[in-house]
This record gives sequence, structure tokens and C-alpha cells, in this order.
Amino acid sequence: MIVRRGERFLDDRFGSNAAVRFFLAKIFPDHWSFFLGEFALYALVLLFGTGIWLTFVYEASPQGAYASVVALSTATPVGYLVRQVHHWSAVVFVAAILIHMARIFFTAAFRNPREINWVVGVSLLVLSSIAGFTGYSLPYDSLSGTGLRIMDSVLLAIPFAGTWAADVLNGGNYPGPQLLAHLYTFHALFLPAAIVILLSAHLSMMVYQKHTQFVDDPGHVVGRRMWPDYALRALTAFAVTVGLIIALSATLEINPIEEFGPYLDWTVPNPATPDWYAAFLDGAVRLGPAVEFRIFGHPLPALLWPGIVMPAIVLAALFAWPWIDARIAKDSSPHDVLVPASRAPWRLGVGVAFLFAGVVLTLAASDDQQALMLHVPVTALVSAYRLLLPFGSVGVGVLAAILARESRSRRDEFGGAREPKRVVALRRNAKGGFDAEAPKST
Amino acid sequence: MVAALAAGGAAIAAGVHASPALVGWLGAATFFAFALATGATARGLKAPDDLREPREPHGPSHPAPLPKDVTRRGVFGQIWGIGLGAFALLAVVPFIALARRPSTPGTAWKAGSRLVNPDGKPMRADDLAVGGVETVFPEGAVDAPEAATLLIRLPENTADVDPARHDWVQQGNIAYSKICTHAGCPVAIYRQQSLELYCPCHQSVFDVLDSGKPVSGPATRALPQLGLDIDAHGFLIARGDYVDPVGPDSWWRPA
Repeated sequence: MIVRRGERFLDDRFGSNAAVRFFLAKIFPDHWSFFLGEFALYALVLLFGTGIWLTFVYEASPQGAYASVVALSTATPVGYLVRQVHHWSAVVFVAAILIHMARIFFTAAFRNPREINWVVGVSLLVLSSIAGFTGYSLPYDSLSGTGLRIMDSVLLAIPFAGTWAADVLNGGNYPGPQLLAHLYTFHALFLPAAIVILLSAHLSMMVYQKHTQFVDDPGHVVGRRMWPDYALRALTAFAVTVGLIIALSATLEINPIEEFGPYLDWTVPNPATPDWYAAFLDGAVRLGPAVEFRIFGHPLPALLWPGIVMPAIVLAALFAWPWIDARIAKDSSPHDVLVPASRAPWRLGVGVAFLFAGVVLTLAASDDQQALMLHVPVTALVSAYRLLLPFGSVGVGVLAAILARESRSRRDEFGGAREPKRVVALRRNAKGGFDAEAPKST
Repeated sequence: MVAALAAGGAAIAAGVHASPALVGWLGAATFFAFALATGATARGLKAPDDLREPREPHGPSHPAPLPKDVTRRGVFGQIWGIGLGAFALLAVVPFIALARRPSTPGTAWKAGSRLVNPDGKPMRADDLAVGGVETVFPEGAVDAPEAATLLIRLPENTADVDPARHDWVQQGNIAYSKICTHAGCPVAIYRQQSLELYCPCHQSVFDVLDSGKPVSGPATRALPQLGLDIDAHGFLIARGDYVDPVGPDSWWRPA
């Protein structure tokens, strides 16, 4: 009744029914892995909801920031819960983006005509990670303040312009009076705005170009109708995601800043490890070589390589991947049908090697705790990780590729599940026996 | 129904300032109940999952991008290129204007500054027991940026430090900057047995007896050492500010 009235109201003014009908009747390919990106979207909804609430209590100044966040917990239990939900949502958000991206990668959904959407997606990952890092820094507790100090040092390591960049961000020498205000503007204004704009582009492109699918029917989108079928599933996924994040927040405490204490440049919690999605950078900094080159009498600090050069190369490779892939596969023609990872062993290998390197770097970010547990010196673990990073990644990648190739050739040998089956139709003939019809492929 | 009940419960619990766990679980229950309802409905639909809709390529499209009466000339391309470059340069100008000349202001340590602990109490040469360690600041500047210094009391028999800096050590008291030369973290941990300083952020280790030189980990430069003296009242004082730059390196760090 209400819906109908609303629809009538809009239709009278915009003539919108045709468009509404078009969207409600749209077909979406159906597979569980196509929901991964939606989980990120739902976490983002929660991030906006809790984030807007948090802006009412947060104070962006070096003196007041920590106290305002702690007061949030002590004054109202719900304030504590909101902060927990916000932080857990951020963790789920970045995790969902990464898993979604892995799905896109391993099924080769980034190929022509969807390269631009892949680039937008990678940009979203970068923006989300920066949003995560700035948000994690805002309470200005002992741990996150130390993280900011490390980020400042990484900026300082940039040749020539680094000092200026750090100076602009801090509003002076570290920790400048404007550092938190600048971070806050980025976290609560620029980054969310950029994420919303890029996300709109991401989703519009997806709708316009239509979703990829596993069903091998390039001429058609095969799946479920948007309304009511797909919408109900999406709503369920939304409610489950939000419910899980809230339940997690109510059960497991994340980022207990009350235990860390306020930030002073001479105190730090031990062990000191950042949020998981920033940990690979910290791990790289721990494994980085202890060398300082000089050019024209100016130092190139050791932090430059793991802190700036490595992430820049990784990002460039991620952005350029659709074109690199097309060149390796010698195929730049448009595709709407997905390729399971097992059918492209080399792509599987590259992806697995990349993920393995990420895991090694992430693990390296807590090498001191592992050394303590294993009763070995940290330096031994650092050496082990340094070896594992190149050799382990390549080894695991090659192994994955070989296994995929093996299983594929075996499948082909035994009748090939993926190959079109040769169907033989039998027809009863007049004599009571059977005749085989000409084999046809389905 | 259940969802509405749980939401109401959560609202009431929040109103009476119940524990976050209770409010959280009631809130989560709201969504789970909703998910059950929508999920069950979705299943109940038994809708087909193999509906088809035609998929046509969007490109290439045939009309040329420009009407025929607009002629393309090379100049156009140059206008775009140079114009965009100029605009980009202009956009950077405000940021260049924001940046100040890189400064290395030094720390708050001056010749004659007394060493005080974080509570502001001045330190005497025998305040620290042998093997002890304390974070110290210049008097009147507790918590001043980059000024944090570690005062260490060396065991008597290991007082054979760098001969050139022999005067910097007073009755076994030796002082190093607490700000790591790698990434600026506090070098918070003193390993008394091996006489090393350890940074919990990236595991750089510095040798206390050997002028604070890095032993392992990613740091490449020694921790700056603070020269110590004793004033007429028996308090530890600094001989002056750090000679070497404190904190992480940058392009503009003096060689």
C-alpha cells in the first residue's frame, strides 16, 4: 500500500516505472562468491552509521583526542560498543575487499571489458586501507601514536620532498599541532567522499556492463531476477554481515586503547603490531635491509625501500594487472564468462605467490612475539623470513601451478569434467533394438 | 517480529546503560532475526536460477566522436597537453607554499641542563643502582619532543667505553637518545645482561658500550649519545645538546 503509493508518486513526476521495472526484472548471475563484494558494501554501511555518531564525541587535538575516546567508553556503554562496531567493521571491510579481489583475480573477471573497474577496485582498496590507518590513528593512544611516528619517518625517507610532505601533514615538526586535525579531515571527509564516488562508479559499471558468470553462455546473462529473488538474498547477506559484526564487537574487544595509555613520544607498548591490513608494511620494514645509501651527499634511509618503493611497485603491478594478464595470455578480447583458477595454472600460480608473500610479510610484523614463543633469536626469524619471502613465494606459486595443471590433465584423461560431454542419444528402432544418434555436444 | 522485539530490548538496554555485551547481542539478534525471515522467504520462493537475458557487447560504437564540421588539428592536442600540465603545476603551488624550509631545531637539551626523571626529579650520579635504567628529560622540559633520553648505570667493571667519549660517562652513568634512528620509535627496552638497547617496533639493537652503534635490525645509524657531567650540587647535567641528529633520517639530514 505504502510502497504502491510511493511508486505512484514517483511515477507521476518522473515516469520512473519503466526504469524501476527494468531494474527489478534485471537478471543477476548467482554464485556464492559473487556476494563477497557485497559484504564489504554492508560493512561500509555500518562504518558510515557508526562513524557519523562518533564525530559527535571525537575531539581532534593532540591534547583532547585520547581523553575524548576513552570518555566514550566510560560515559556510555553504548559509546564503547559503537567504537568497537566501527573498528570491527573496518577490519571486515578491508578483509572483504581483499577476498572479493582475490575472487576477481582467480576467476579472471578483470579482463576486457572490465579493466577499468579493476583499476577502480584497486583504488578502493588503497583508499580503504588509508581510511583504516587514519581511523586507527585518531584515538592517539600509545600504540597508534607510535604508528603515526613510523609513518612520519617513512614520509621523511622520501628523497627531496619527504621533509616537506611530513611538514605539511604535521603542520610543523612531528608531532605537529595540526596532525590529528589533518588526519581527521582525511578520515571523515576526503576519504569517505572519494570512497563513495569510486564505489558508485564501481557499481554503475558493474550494472551497465552486466555481471560475469560461470555458466558458459556468452550471449546471455544467466541467473536470478533482481526482485524479489536476488534482493531477498542480498538483504539476508546484509543482515547476517551486520549481525555478525555487532556480535563480534559485543564479544571480542578490539584495540583496547585504555590499556595502551595516551601517546607520548617516549613510551610504546611491547609488543607493538599494527592492525592486520597494515601489518604487511610493518613486516616489510622489519625485514628491510639495514643499508643507507647516499646520493649527492644526501641520505637514502633504509625505510625508503620497504616503506615507499616496495608498496609503490606492488601497487603499480596491481593497477596494471589486467594488461599484464592480457599480454601473458595473448588474449585481449572481451570475456563475460569466468575462467576457474584451475583452468589457468599460471594465473593461479601468480596469485598464490602474491598471497603467500603477503602472508609472509604480515607474519613478519609479529616476528618478535613468535621468537619469544619459539625460544629463538629474532634475528634468526628475520633471516628465515627474508629467505622465505622470495623463495617460498615462487616455490608455492610454481607448486600451485603444477598441481592445477596435473589435476586438469588428469580430469581430461578421465573424461574431462570441464570438457563438453559427448552425449549419445539412443533411439528405439523399429526392430526393438537401439540406434545411436549422431553425437552432439551440449 | 523477533527482530522488532530484539531491537526494542536493545533500545531499553541502551537506555538503562546495561553492559555493552547485552546491548550488542540484542542488536545483533535484531539483524539475525531479520536475516532468518528474509532467508526463509528467499528459499520459499523456489525461484528459478537459470533465467536468461541477452548480453550484448557495448562497444565498439560506430559514429565518430566528433561531428564532421569539427576538424581535428594537432594544435588541439597540444593545447590539452600543455594546458593540463600547467593546471597540474598550479594545483601543486599551494602545497609548495605550505611547506616550510626543513629545519633541524635540535632538542631541548642545553649545556648544564639537569637530568630529571618523568616526575621532574633531578637525578644524582648514584640515584640509579648498577644495572638500572631511567627515562630522563632536561629540567623544565619533561615530555619535550625528541628530548627523551635513556640514562643507564653501567656495571663498574664494564666502564670501558669509547675512549674519545670517556668524559661523557659519569660514575658509570651513560645516556643515549631514546628516539630510534630507524623510524622514531622509543627504544624502550634495556637488556641489562648484554648491555644492549632494543626497539620494540622493528627490533633494532644498539650496543651501549660501543657508542650506541646498531648491532642488528634495520637501523643504520648509532643512537646519539648525550655527554654527561656533574654540577656543583652533585646532580647529573648535560654537556650540551646532542651532537648527532636525533630521530629518523631524511634527505636533508646533515651528513
